Amino acid sequence: MTQLDISLKNEEGHEVLAVSGPVNSYTFTEFQEKVYKAIKAGDTVIDMSKVTTLSSAGIGVLMAALDDGEAAGHKLAVLRPSEIVVLAMDSTGFGDRFPVIQTLKEF
Amino acid sequence: MLAAEEEPGPEADEGPRPGSRATQILVASAEAVMSLEAFIDGLDFLARRERYRIKLAGDEILDNLVRHSAPLAGGSLSVRVSRRRSGIALSFFFRSPKFAAFAARCSDPEPLFDATHRRWRGIGMVMCRNLSHSMKLRPGRFVDRIFLTFLLEPDGDDDARSGHDIPRLSLIEK
Repeated sequence: MTQLDISLKNEEGHEVLAVSGPVNSYTFTEFQEKVYKAIKAGDTVIDMSKVTTLSSAGIGVLMAALDDGEAAGHKLAVLRPSEIVVLAMDSTGFGDRFPVIQTLKEF
Repeated sequence: MLAAEEEPGPEADEGPRPGSRATQILVASAEAVMSLEAFIDGLDFLARRERYRIKLAGDEILDNLVRHSAPLAGGSLSVRVSRRRSGIALSFFFRSPKFAAFAARCSDPEPLFDATHRRWRGIGMVMCRNLSHSMKLRPGRFVDRIFLTFLLEPDGDDDARSGHDIPRLSLIEK
């Protein structure tokens, strides 16, 4: 059974949260803790290229983090979202609210 | 007993072909969502995007059932996926004393931000409605049922929303 894995790495001078595996109702608390901590500390890039599913719980975390970042003056972006992540974000009806980038140069 | 009433098609047709229907019994627990994902990932009669839609919508239904409709009778539920020429059906069979409350939440798809718990609520049901072709909830004397149908979607289709118009929703905070 695939598990969620989240690691912090430095890419091109940016701190990037690399997420792989499922972000669902069972795993989202770890995702929540790490995303909230990162956006509180500064600009945050979340690499979601290896995410295998994204539930409403995970989407809710991204939306709350966007609000937190806006309040703190910090940027948040989703890097290279996988196909299922794009579908999940679009299916909420406000997919265009999520700042998606394909390269770190866009951040 | 569970199959006493056949799930609605997308349209009535010839019925599922052999090998294009699968059923899984899930223990009603938080971990069940992981088992459901593994079950859906293993269905080789689904195209990639069909699998994605069913996995996303199925996770939301299951999560709601486990978190808000417990206790389920027998502590378990049954999930069935069947593929026909006219579409795919995802069916949940269970028994919950809280089914009416569950159905009421499904009927109000407007997401709300719960400032107290810092959580968005209602997004999952919006996702289900937008990912599926139809969603029906049927209480029964012995078994409650939820049926979702999905349009067929060939692999390699670049439009993630093909066949579906996803409405843009306003965000409401309370």
